[in-house]
Amino acid sequence: MRGDAAAFEEIVQRYQQVAFRTAYVITGSAADAEDAAQEGFVKAYRALDRFRLDAALRPWLLQIVANEARNRARSSGRRQHLELKLAEGFRPGDAAPSPEAVAVGLDERRRLLAMVNALSEEDRQVIACRYFLELSGEETAAALGLAEGTVKSRLSRALARLRSRVEETARA
Amino acid sequence: MPELEDQLTAVAASIEWPRTPQLRIVRTNRLFEETSPRIVRTSRRYVLAAAAALLIAITLAFTWLGLHTTIYRVPNPPTPSAPPSGTLGSNLDLGRPTTLSEAQAKVSWKIVVPPALGHADAVYLKPAANGGPSGGEVSLVYANAPGVQASPQTGVAVLVTEARGAVNENFFVKIIGPDTQVEQVSVNGHPGYWIAGHPHDFAFSDANGNFYMEQMRLATNTLVFNDDGTIVRIEGEMTKAQAVRLAGSL
Repeated sequence: MRGDAAAFEEIVQRYQQVAFRTAYVITGSAADAEDAAQEGFVKAYRALDRFRLDAALRPWLLQIVANEARNRARSSGRRQHLELKLAEGFRPGDAAPSPEAVAVGLDERRRLLAMVNALSEEDRQVIACRYFLELSGEETAAALGLAEGTVKSRLSRALARLRSRVEETARA
Repeated sequence: MPELEDQLTAVAASIEWPRTPQLRIVRTNRLFEETSPRIVRTSRRYVLAAAAALLIAITLAFTWLGLHTTIYRVPNPPTPSAPPSGTLGSNLDLGRPTTLSEAQAKVSWKIVVPPALGHADAVYLKPAANGGPSGGEVSLVYANAPGVQASPQTGVAVLVTEARGAVNENFFVKIIGPDTQVEQVSVNGHPGYWIAGHPHDFAFSDANGNFYMEQMRLATNTLVFNDDGTIVRIEGEMTKAQAVRLAGSL
């Protein structure tokens, strides 16, 4: 069991960022996301014995933390609107910009993010999970408490709505 | 104009996320394992204050010495790129190069050398003091092996890694990554696992029972087995039959 505690410490270190950000996408509040991540990891530790060997770790952890985030968002009674922002510039220590980032100018990125922020909560969350957190379909399903098929259809509808807004803006 | 999906990917790279809290497990008492962990966040205020104090101290020290420095954050360990010009395997973080006899003198178990491969092209020793598991870790590196293609990035065909400990199946299976399949195998009657695909991490309990996690150096098919308390790992672009045959020759 001693090994389990040390192992879990490694797991916390490895997954705390994606867990915290997933919780942030759900709660829209950094403080609530911190609490959700912390409590989620404690619950995951307690549930370790019930862990199925043939299941993947990351989706399982994300599901626990995301459940915690949803509970927090519900019980606090306040609906924080997730408002993602772009970093103002390239910071030392950041990864080099991707080819996609170079191809899409800062203003374009800013406009697109504003459009994502203006989408419904459902649409915003599924896009944020898949594209901004780069979660897999299985992980997104676990984080949002949906079936994988539902994630696919919801994502497709969300992208269609976003695309039509982008086109409307381009025409205007 | 890039596709919408590409544009979203571009946005992802420049999103400013709130700072991730540093969570760490605090062991409050010796019954920790029987209860549950307390996971605390390092207070941002104290971290910032400590960081600021440290920065000021470093700046003053370097100013006084007339030196300047830049501190870079390295988020991930470097990945092997081109075959190194030095000793084979020197870019794989295997420890310090040594000889088989010197390595043997430093570790408690009898290092097993696959007769089918013969003398290793390079031998490395990673003691616990330098980040290895308790009892140390020995790596045998081969540039050539019959029927096995060497990695173009590392120049390594087969890597054999040995350390004292026990496979922590619960965790190693979990962390091994989604693009892999794990199958239980037997090597000369010893329990083992055939890991096919692109495993990135491996976990085991070392000689002192501590959890030890490290990267798979070649991130390719791997055979792991427990040889009476020594965990032997054989990595290389080979089939299960090849790997089991190789291990069976030990």
